Amino acid sequence: MTTAPSPSPLLSARPAGVGQRSARRTLSRLLAMRELQLVLVTVVIFAITTAHASTFISAGNISFLLADAMAVAVIAVGQTIVVLTRGIDLSVAPILGTAALAVGFLAQNHNLTPLEGLPLALAIGAAMGLGNGFMVALAGIPPIIATLGSLAIYSGVQAIVAHSQEVVTLPPAYFNLGNGDAINGIPYLALIGAGVAIAFALILWRTRFGRSIYAVGNNAEAARRAGINVSRVTVSSYVLCGALAGLGGLIFLAHVGSADSTTGTDSNIQLTAIAATLIGGTTLTGGKGGVIGSFLAAIFLEVALAALVEFRLNPIWEPAGVGVMILLAVLADPTTGRPSLRSALRMLLQSQRART
Amino acid sequence: MAVSAPQQNVVGDAVASLAYEALEISKSFGGAKALDGVSVDFRPGEIHTLVGENGAGKSTLLRVMSGIYERDGGELRLGGESLERLTPREAQHRGIYLVPQEPTLMPHLSALENLFVGIIPRGRLPFTVDWKRMRESAGDYFAQLGLAIDPRQRAETLSIAQQQQLECARALVHNCSVIFFDEPTSPLTAHEAEMLFALMRRLRERNFTLGFISHRLDEVLELSDRITVLRDARVVATMDAADASRELLVNEMVGHQVTIQRRHARAAQSDDVALSVQQLQREGEFHNISFEVHRGEVLGLAGLVGSGRTEIAETIFGLRHAEAGRITLEGHQLVRHSPRSCIDRGLIYLSEDRGRNGIFADVQLPENVSSAIVPRLPRLRGLLNRRVEQRLAGEAMERTQVRALRRDVPIRSLSGGNQQKALFARWLLAEPKVAIFDEPTRGVDVGAKADIYALIDGLARDGVAIIVISSELEELTWICDRVIAVYEGHVTGELSGEQITVAALGRLIVEEGGA
Repeated sequence: MTTAPSPSPLLSARPAGVGQRSARRTLSRLLAMRELQLVLVTVVIFAITTAHASTFISAGNISFLLADAMAVAVIAVGQTIVVLTRGIDLSVAPILGTAALAVGFLAQNHNLTPLEGLPLALAIGAAMGLGNGFMVALAGIPPIIATLGSLAIYSGVQAIVAHSQEVVTLPPAYFNLGNGDAINGIPYLALIGAGVAIAFALILWRTRFGRSIYAVGNNAEAARRAGINVSRVTVSSYVLCGALAGLGGLIFLAHVGSADSTTGTDSNIQLTAIAATLIGGTTLTGGKGGVIGSFLAAIFLEVALAALVEFRLNPIWEPAGVGVMILLAVLADPTTGRPSLRSALRMLLQSQRART
Repeated sequence: MAVSAPQQNVVGDAVASLAYEALEISKSFGGAKALDGVSVDFRPGEIHTLVGENGAGKSTLLRVMSGIYERDGGELRLGGESLERLTPREAQHRGIYLVPQEPTLMPHLSALENLFVGIIPRGRLPFTVDWKRMRESAGDYFAQLGLAIDPRQRAETLSIAQQQQLECARALVHNCSVIFFDEPTSPLTAHEAEMLFALMRRLRERNFTLGFISHRLDEVLELSDRITVLRDARVVATMDAADASRELLVNEMVGHQVTIQRRHARAAQSDDVALSVQQLQREGEFHNISFEVHRGEVLGLAGLVGSGRTEIAETIFGLRHAEAGRITLEGHQLVRHSPRSCIDRGLIYLSEDRGRNGIFADVQLPENVSSAIVPRLPRLRGLLNRRVEQRLAGEAMERTQVRALRRDVPIRSLSGGNQQKALFARWLLAEPKVAIFDEPTRGVDVGAKADIYALIDGLARDGVAIIVISSELEELTWICDRVIAVYEGHVTGELSGEQITVAALGRLIVEEGGA
């Protein structure tokens, strides 16, 4: 041995109770997982709503809800990647719209098939994402400002592409893709969405790029010092987010069957996607969360809103409902470091006592 | 807020200042004692300076006395009155003000607004501000303190020195008469420091109670009336400045127990140069830096904070770019190198600020450890082989003795010492040929320190060339074969073997030894 300044076996002490990992603790750890919470809550909503209106659980309805949720789900996956790097992309709605329009026009006028439309949608999205990435990583513009700017610019691009025309008639292949079932109750779109989510979950967790995303979001300076090319990772995240928004455009087009100059922006799809990201457990401060949660949260939002309709709530309440769910989801996260409700209450009581 | 408007007659007149005593103060951070029964008294009309090595407890004491930290035990007595729970607000209310090392002004507000924040005088109408009165009294304060600051200037456009002066003025505006300065001079140039000293002397003449922390012993001896030396969380001596000398202070600071630690002797190092740096230069940071490190050698880089030592290391590692000079790693000259290319060539750098530049707080332990070598991990169908990764990270953590009950926890849940060991594991995994460790034992407990010294020694025995940067001179005497000292960006001397003593190092890092 060498140079111990003061030979002290200080650290031999161990907390008691090591190894007493009870089933209860395992269960509570599991329940703390956002993904599981979302599945459970969605199932509960399903059960309650079905008790009220039995058709809610029909294969047809499930299929519709899943297909209807997928545009948001795919965009939320992309959004999650950007948020994990501590960024945000507000411009996904016009990216979706532009991709939907471009593919839609070619399909309407030149019989472009969905499979041929796919690379086009991805390329349009990736190109627009590249623009965002450059502004954030190379020009150093804060993400929220950069993409607020590109939200306006890309909306303009979408209007130019639309040229006051609409996509209204599409080849039947699109309708099949957008509304058909692969198996009874499982639409094609759900398979695509789930495939995207799983693929990106693997990329994030088990590739060099994915690791770099978490590292950059956690601590960009430490990432640089660990040999990670921070700008390249950041640009890539926006490109992927854009490409997935492009894919979302194709999905939207196939599912809805039409597109115009305000597709995407008119339904505020970028905010719904950000909501799904946050409800899915990814934190805006970066470096924490994952795409599976966002994917499940998109489905949860769809089901919850559909349930409201079943209970004949006026659709006027929908946006407020989404807002409440975002806030509840953030409050329900025990790991945000935000003081819990209980400790906040305790502080309040203490200050009251101190005053008297 | 409609607190009494600042009284202009305070400036210029002597204030009725109170003595402020700390009695048997103790304070721990997570088991590590930062203050252990410390008693210091600050008297009116006197500059009382605290000196000591890093971590001796100087800043902690001033923070306890100004209400930033809550004390664990002991008593604070202001003008004979015992203070119960002291909050920063309460401290300021009682006239105690701490000028922090890095000024904490509001960058986008004007100097004027910063000066009066919290006690902005109300105008004649509700919800208005009496700008005229603020401007006039600010002008008074500035004039009488001899400050050349434009009250309309935004705080962020002021120099650090001006920001500190503004902090002093703020203390006056808030009617404070006990003013503490926590290492104010380390970011200042010599000339700026002189201006600050002039200001402090002016305050002393007006009977203010002044506390001061500095590492620069020359200025301590020049400015102080009394000096208290802290070591390892205790007061070891309090003396009149007239009785003090640099020699005496250094001895008290480092203690006489230098011999507790046996210098270990490694076999003679090889002559193979692993890293050579020639005439490295960056304007305003360092110039003409040349040295070599051999395989199996531990080279110390001694210097004060701000001496350029970290900047040199970051330049070698490709985090900054040299304006001139040459860096040669294992016979290969590094040109336009980045951290990645350095790591791939076997040069690693453990940054000094663990929280800011080291850990990924929310990422789990194994992924934190493997983060620098992800490109080298084996893949199965394009996906990282998690099992191999976990095994490698686990082995590295065993080698560096990371103590954690579970591996699948975010690194933030570990103690500072274990976080540091995890970072050592990260860099060991990279299989370095040359390793630069910047403050490798900062903020870690005694046991972890010993483990880290053993690790560094083990690496050297395996033939790794090592550079250790440290403010703890004792540490350098324990682990280094050779030490070079830097002061204000240039090398002031080199010591090797038995020449490496705290006293000799202490002289070199304040340039007494001469260049």
